[in-house]
Parts: sequence; C-alpha cells; structure tokens
Amino acid sequence: MAKFPSVAWFDAVRDIYNKDDAMHGAGSGTCNCVVGVQVGRELFRLTFEGFECSQAEMITKAQLDDCDFYLHMAAKDWRTMLQNIQEHGHATDNFTLNTLDLGRVEGLSASTHNDQYREDLFFRYNQTLQFFFDGSARIQTTF
Amino acid sequence: MDQQTHNGAEFELDLGWMEKQGEWNTHAEPSKNGLTLADIQVGFYADTPEESRNLSGRPRGAVPRPGSMPIGNYTVRTKSEIWLENASFLYEEALQRQWSSATDIPWDTIEPLPDDVEQAQCQMATFLTEVEFVAGDVPSRWVSKTSPDFYEARNVLMAQVMDESRHMDVFRKRALVNGGGLMRATGATAGFVGGIDLARDFTEMSSRLHLSGEGAVLTIFRMGELMAYNDAEKAIYRLCAQDEARHVAFGVMHMRYMAANAPERREEIESYLDEAEAGMLTDAANPAGQLNQTSESLSIMLGGGRKYFDEGFRKLVSIRKRQLQEYQKRVTSAGFGDRFKNGRSRLGQMMANVAN
Repeated sequence: MAKFPSVAWFDAVRDIYNKDDAMHGAGSGTCNCVVGVQVGRELFRLTFEGFECSQAEMITKAQLDDCDFYLHMAAKDWRTMLQNIQEHGHATDNFTLNTLDLGRVEGLSASTHNDQYREDLFFRYNQTLQFFFDGSARIQTTF
Repeated sequence: MDQQTHNGAEFELDLGWMEKQGEWNTHAEPSKNGLTLADIQVGFYADTPEESRNLSGRPRGAVPRPGSMPIGNYTVRTKSEIWLENASFLYEEALQRQWSSATDIPWDTIEPLPDDVEQAQCQMATFLTEVEFVAGDVPSRWVSKTSPDFYEARNVLMAQVMDESRHMDVFRKRALVNGGGLMRATGATAGFVGGIDLARDFTEMSSRLHLSGEGAVLTIFRMGELMAYNDAEKAIYRLCAQDEARHVAFGVMHMRYMAANAPERREEIESYLDEAEAGMLTDAANPAGQLNQTSESLSIMLGGGRKYFDEGFRKLVSIRKRQLQEYQKRVTSAGFGDRFKNGRSRLGQMMANVAN
C-alpha cells in the first residue's frame, strides 16, 4: 500500500513498469525524457531512460526547469484519474493523459521553457506514459 | 588469418579481398539500450563527410572499389542538406516503438455509431489514408536521392515510410470495420503533391512536410481522442500521434542544424516558411483547414453529430488555433523565431482570422 503522491508511490509504480515487458511494446518502448509531476503544490520528477523509469524524486519548483514537460493537476483531479485506472485496470473515457490534456482549459502538460521540441515529447512518448500510470492499477493506493 | 591464407594457397583461392578492409580492430560496445547506431559511431566509421563523392552505393567506411560505375543518382551529397544531430537516436526510437494495426488496436471495442457520425469518421479515414499515402511517397523519393554516406538520416526517412504505410492501413481498416466504407477522395493529395513533392531541395521538402504538414496532422491526431467514440479509435489516434511527433522532430532538428550550419541559406528557408504558412489554413492537406469535406466531418465528430455541428465547429476552431501556436513554437525551437517578431510572418493575422 502506498500513499499518493509520494516517492514511495512512484517507486512502486516504477517497479511494475520496469519489470513488465508488455509495457515496452505495442507502441511503447524506448523512452528518454524527464517528466515533472505536479500534484497540487507537491512536485516530483520522473526520469525515463531507454526501457526503464530510472528515478523518482521530489523536487523544488525551480527544478521544473530541468523537466522536458510536467503534468499538473489539482490533487482531487489526480485522485479521480487514479480511481478510474484502479476501477478499470487502465484509464478509460476522459481519463487518458492525452484526453485530460485536451479537455482541460489549463491543459495537463506544460513546461517552464516553452520549447515545443521538448514539449512534443509528451506526444512522442504518450503511450509509454499511459502504460506507466495504468500500472498503478496493480498497487493499492491511499490518498 | 595465417591459417586462412595457408588454406587459400592450398586450394588456390584468391584471398586478395582479405587485404582490402576498412579500419580494423573495432570494438563497438552495446549501451543500456542494446547496440544502437550511436554505439557504432566509433573511430573512422563515425566520420561523416561534409561533401560526399560516393556514387557507387559504397557503405560509409568501406574500401572504395576502383573504377566502379555510379549506381545511384544521388543529388543530396552535401551534409548540411539533410543532416540533423539526433538522426541515430530517432531511428532507434522509431524501430523500438513500432506497433501493429492488426493486434495493438482493440478493434472489438468498436460498436455501431449513428449514420452521420459513421459517415464523418469514414470521410476522415478516407482523407487520412489519402494524405498518408503521399507522406510515405515523398520521403521515399528522397531516400533514393541521398548519398549512402548520410545513412543515419536516410534510415530515419525509411522508418518514416514504414510509419506512414501503417497509418494508411489503420485508417483504411477503420473505414471498413464498422458498416461504412471509403468515401469520396478529397483531392488533398493534389495539393500535397504540388506543394511538397515538387520541392527541388530536401530542406524545402522537409520544411513543408515535417514542419508544417506533419505538424498540422500531429495536432489532428492528438485531438483525435476528442472525436474518438471507443477505445479503438482512441488508440489509433494516440499511436499515430506518437509516430507523427517523431517525424516532426526530424524536421525541427534538421532546421536547427541548418540555422546553425548553413547561414547562407537562411533567407531561402524563410521563403519556404512563408509558403508553408500561406497554405496552412487554406491548403486541402490540412484536415482542420477550410476544405468542406474535412472541416464538416471533423465538426460533426467533435460535436457528437450533425445536430451539434456548431459545438463541433467551436472545437475545430480551437484545434486550428492550437495548430498555429504549436507551429510557431516549433519554428522558434528550430531557430527561425525572429520571423514572428520582425513582421515577416503573417501567423498573427491568421490566428486572428482562424474562425473564418
């Protein structure tokens, strides 16, 4: 059981993602980017290198500059998304990362640098990121 | 070697080829992601010539064959014409992120749709099949024109051709899977062929295909999740968007290389961007553009039916805005952002008129 958001929670999901070959095929695969995750005021950084998510850590706001892009939502919206994943085993309907990005006025993915080449990595690796968060269906999450 | 030479003498073999070898004692080592193209950029084999005189199809680093006849009509023989810094990386990524339209799309989630929505889906699928055909055709032509010395960039283009063929087949499958079929051809390819395939120069082609054309289609694919009615359609658009983002990355990185290494061609490239921008909303190749067949079908899908056309059209307008904003940021990232500050680009005016 792991509490969201926390490094322990991301580590538990990383473990699932890194060990499951099914998450590295079907349009997923090698992925190289640094992703920020903002849950309310809490900030985390996920490092994807090749076929693994090699690190999850807490960061400061200034460190968001190092991220290719960051995913930001209020804590209650993250909770709704993760509950949808828990219920169905994967994100459905309006809870996929891409749909959340499109459907929300403020979007889901953003950056501090405004470089579209780096922001495009959210689209380029979208299936991998979706598999990663879908992996949370296999752990018990508390909030 | 001694033993082999000995054997050669014994059986009267001509082993002269054994003396004609490239740099020897090379030990490329696999990295974390396997033995990638980046890992074999070692020693002499990493050297890419600024100008290529290789007309014989000789692999880069192999020993030339004296008197060999030219076999390739390679017009792209200058490195800066086609180069980008991360070609090896993009190629490996393309190989490792392939997917199958037969087995990675949950086709069983597609259920009957209202007639107007199914017709709109089929019209868009027809259009995208048409466009992807050309998006595969064009880079393949440039592959055959490019010196083998620049094989990294060629390989990325060949991977793109594979991607585009998969896009062609997945949209054809979508049109034929749910009681509909292909609709009327839009003629978009005529514009596409005219505007892109007649490019006289690789950079001209890439600015039109990768930056403006594929950039616009990338936005549509991403937005596809908003007009998807089941998990299959969501997966189609999401996976196509990933591929498309890689193609756009090729264009951005090539432009960035040109901006840094070929300043004498800057004005020429600006003129390609002028042309690309002029056609962004009016060109039939942009599905969110002003062609009735595609803009109406998109609006019906986005709204949820013909009755909700106006709501769908409002979403289409936001897609058009997003296309233009993302294009502007990509061109800026590529090193040509001044055009948006010095009055050369008409993009600001286009954004103001985007709803028309």
